[in-house]
Amino acid sequence: MGSRKQRQNAWKKEIDDLIRGACGGFLFGIPLLYTMEVWWIGSSVTPLIMAVALVLTFIVVFLLNKTEGFRKSGQNGRPYEAVTDTVEAMAIGIVCSTLILLVLRELTFDTALKEAVGKIVFESVPFTLGVALANKFLQGTRTSSSNSESSESKPHQRQKNGELNDTLSDIGATLIGATFIAFNIAPTDEVSMLAAAVSPPWLLATLVASLLISYGIVFAAGFSDQKKRRQQRGIFQRPWSETIFAYLVSLVAAAMMLLFFQQLRFNDPWTMWLDHALILGLPASIGGAAGRLAV
Amino acid sequence: MNIDKKEDNFSNDTEERPPRSPAEWITFGISLVILATVIGAIGYTWVERNRQEQDPVLSVISNKNSIREVNDQFYIPFEVTNDGAETAESVQVLAELEIDGKVVESGEQQVDFLSKGEREEGAFIFSRNPRSGKLTIRIASYKKS
Repeated sequence: MGSRKQRQNAWKKEIDDLIRGACGGFLFGIPLLYTMEVWWIGSSVTPLIMAVALVLTFIVVFLLNKTEGFRKSGQNGRPYEAVTDTVEAMAIGIVCSTLILLVLRELTFDTALKEAVGKIVFESVPFTLGVALANKFLQGTRTSSSNSESSESKPHQRQKNGELNDTLSDIGATLIGATFIAFNIAPTDEVSMLAAAVSPPWLLATLVASLLISYGIVFAAGFSDQKKRRQQRGIFQRPWSETIFAYLVSLVAAAMMLLFFQQLRFNDPWTMWLDHALILGLPASIGGAAGRLAV
Repeated sequence: MNIDKKEDNFSNDTEERPPRSPAEWITFGISLVILATVIGAIGYTWVERNRQEQDPVLSVISNKNSIREVNDQFYIPFEVTNDGAETAESVQVLAELEIDGKVVESGEQQVDFLSKGEREEGAFIFSRNPRSGKLTIRIASYKKS
């Protein structure tokens, strides 16, 4: 029985590690996934350059894994660990960027193999770097331990202040995070390009991906501040209801940013508002999730 | 007794340097397969590229039967394909309508990227009936990527 439990724990830990890595990848890689130049580079690049890109990524991520990495265990001294972690980080990067490219319709089943491989390789580079930096990303919150310590002593005070305050701070954090990531993307042409290419079923897929990724970042990845997160009390404090609520906030934020940058106008048809907001909602919700974890 | 000792060792290990669990090995194995697939795909495209003709081979087809007329405008759909081994950039498609030996209308369209085996569709819009004259649709130029 004991060993079975241990095995389950090992799996749980492993899956946590992988999800954490993937979330780090999303945080770092999503802005480049919304850059058409990277798709083009991927389409036109020769196999030799692809191979070079892979090798360079391997070296850089290997060096990062020597000191950082996406695993909680950190450096426990097993010398081959940095190599295996690098392989895993690259695999996570490849899988995640492929999925997002599929959702955004930059990769379809009609795409020629060479073009597909090029896109995947080039988009997976920032992703893989993000995976390797996963622990570093939201560690700013861990180092500001004075902050979290004081918040640990706060619970009763929190309850007194009421749930409204926490809910407001959640909304604020989501807005800050969403703006942080999506503001760079909102004024670019990619949003309308992607919106033009996407069909309703894939818009739904975008929505589902946004929800899953932001849930993963806040509740599943075992980032440093999650325990605190689960204790946080607000009106929408069940993990899934919080995720959905925060997603809606991110969507509104995305629409506002698009409006601000003149990408959407009030007399545009509502379908255009919908697909633009959903497309930009993916990076916005990822940023929002990171924001809630950090604040 | 022996077994006990072993387990003791094991738990000691987990505190300082836990042995790599099967879970970790399995995920590593899967990761290795994924990475190997990508490397394999790169290798395949490399070999394929060397075997085939290097340059883009571009062609455009337009089916006269699929011309449709809406609000006194004639939509002439066309399809550009690249059967070569290289990606072509800025593929320029020209359409000209000659009636009585004179070019009365022309149109131009650019396809940003056309990679190997890719097909792009589009349409020219003329105000004169293309069936009443000689319609030429051709590819005028492209840029090497």
